[in-house]
Amino acid sequence: MTRRPVDIGDPDRLYTITGGRSRADDAFDLVTLIVSESAPRAGMQSEHARILDLCRHPTALVEIAAEMKLPITVMRILLGDLLAMGRISARHPPPPRPQAALPDSALLLEVLHGLRNL
Amino acid sequence: MTGLLLSAAAAGTAVATAPAAARTWTMVTAVAAWCCVAVTVLVFALLLRRTRRSADSKDAEVVRLTARSAQQSAESAYLANVTVPALVSLLRKGAGAKEAQEQVNLPTDTQLLEIVQVFSSAMEQVVQHAASSDSELRRAREELAQVNQEVEQVTRALLPDMVTRLREGNSADTVLAEWEWPPSSLLRAPVEVFVRDLARSERRGAAAQVASARALSRVQAKTVSMLADLRDMQERHGEEVFGDLLKLDHSTSQLGLLTDRLALLMGGRSSRAWNKPIVMESILRGAAGRIAAYQRVRLHCSTSAAISGFAAEGVMHLIAELMDNAANFSPPIDEVHVYVDEHSAGLVVTIEDSGLKMADAAMRHAEEAVAGHMTDLASLPGTRLGLAVVGGLATKYGISVNYRPSSRGGTGVVVLLPRQLLAQRRDTAPKKTSARPAVAAAESTRAALPETAPAEGGDAPLSPPASAPTSAAALAPSSPAATGETLTPGSSARRAAATPNGLPVRAPGRTMAEAEQDRRDRRAGAEPPAAGDTPAQAPHVARDAGSRFGAFHAGRTSTGEDGPSGTGAGPLPEPPSAQ
Repeated sequence: MTRRPVDIGDPDRLYTITGGRSRADDAFDLVTLIVSESAPRAGMQSEHARILDLCRHPTALVEIAAEMKLPITVMRILLGDLLAMGRISARHPPPPRPQAALPDSALLLEVLHGLRNL
Repeated sequence: MTGLLLSAAAAGTAVATAPAAARTWTMVTAVAAWCCVAVTVLVFALLLRRTRRSADSKDAEVVRLTARSAQQSAESAYLANVTVPALVSLLRKGAGAKEAQEQVNLPTDTQLLEIVQVFSSAMEQVVQHAASSDSELRRAREELAQVNQEVEQVTRALLPDMVTRLREGNSADTVLAEWEWPPSSLLRAPVEVFVRDLARSERRGAAAQVASARALSRVQAKTVSMLADLRDMQERHGEEVFGDLLKLDHSTSQLGLLTDRLALLMGGRSSRAWNKPIVMESILRGAAGRIAAYQRVRLHCSTSAAISGFAAEGVMHLIAELMDNAANFSPPIDEVHVYVDEHSAGLVVTIEDSGLKMADAAMRHAEEAVAGHMTDLASLPGTRLGLAVVGGLATKYGISVNYRPSSRGGTGVVVLLPRQLLAQRRDTAPKKTSARPAVAAAESTRAALPETAPAEGGDAPLSPPASAPTSAAALAPSSPAATGETLTPGSSARRAAATPNGLPVRAPGRTMAEAEQDRRDRRAGAEPPAAGDTPAQAPHVARDAGSRFGAFHAGRTSTGEDGPSGTGAGPLPEPPSAQ
């Protein structure tokens, strides 16, 4: 017989946590910062309550996932629920600057040459 | 005589009157005629005399014979009325024929005597025969009564006793040797045959049960390892296969329920055993996850009570069976609602469906099944094995399961989990705070409060409380001296059970798995060790400084190192360096 300690985990399976959903909307990426808008309420799903606890300060999605030991997909689904309920807000990281704001490639080439010539 | 004289006178007259010539002739004729008459008269007289004499003798004989016949009839009447009854009564009393004949007046007539003798000997035989058949009958009756008694004893007492002892696992020889048989028992052979045959079938049944339990335990082990593997895969793989993995996970969980159900019926064990208290929400979700229609189950659980590890699996299986039953017997679009209430007697779990109301007979049947009366495999129905398992589990853990009509129109099941199945509440509060130690100390103070006192927390603002005693106890788990009063021995041992080098110390009663888990936590938290802290305090304080990074790192490696995961792992290494 196996001596593996298989029963140290939790008895609830991931599909019961997500209610059978396996697709998350794309509102969150790994580094989206999440901050809770209210304290957990009695009668909430325990995962939601924990997320609200963890996100009193802005916390990255990936960090919450690691803390709660849940896959990223599940986290996104749960956060999607909370976002839909208005209990959290998501702060996306600053988007990459637009193309026009970047220096000209010719200028960069010149800098490169100058550096090489040093 | 006078005739003779008259004829002689007539002849003399004739002779006298006759002429002389004719006288001689007349005289001769007259003499001759007279002689004839005389002879005739004499002959007649003789004949008459003889006849008279014989008539006399005949008369005498008639008289004699009449007397004799009278005597004989008197004798036969005596024989019929006196002798024969006397003889019969004597013979009936058991006297021999000779003896009896001596005591009665025998008839003088030889024929009658003969008749009496023949009769008495025949009668004697008859009486003897009757006596012998009488005694035979009596003996037969006695035997019959004895046999009856034996049969009764065997059926009433012996066979049930033997069957019970056989069921207890004794061998046929042991059981048979315990019974003292009367020497001439007719029933011995059939009973022995019966007992041996029954013992063989019992043995066969037990062997089949053990074999199937053993086979099922392999399936169970496989199922559990499959579930663990699936969970691993769910961690590793991204969104593309996640849904399929969940589907597989669900199928495997249902398989687990089926095998567990059979295993429990076969006297085996559940596939899983939890070594820690399981909170009620997890119990309900674990139960719902094992049935096909888990998406129709609505859980209403606001309690934070937990079921002790030893009973958690049993409770979960019991609730899963009841949910399965409720879901199967309600329309496929209706929901099954599960409520949990906490009472002083324990936790009350109510499972309500809105299906058709159960018929009275079905309800009674279900009640009987869940009362644990159907312990015999032979009396199980072909379907609805689940309720029999519920009965077994309810009896084992002292859970009461009751059916009642539901206010939703269907059927409700009320499950009362007695208090001894619940884990101590104190156990769960420190566990929760230690479960998320990455949050900084100040945060964990705030975080601990709504967990330990969710009722008063509610939608309270996020401002930290001044100094709540509960949060203080939860905040300072590193000083066992201060928390020794509030913490259970188990949880305080969990914190201190390690050598300074981080090797786990296995306290009595803890499983290796849990110790291993602790060690892993400790190692993850202790990456940048804080100087000056005692080893027991180190993990928690150290987590404050480094755990954010550690958790981030762990999250990155777990998603990033397995190649494309579809969760946006590509740009992951960039942000830290970009900032």
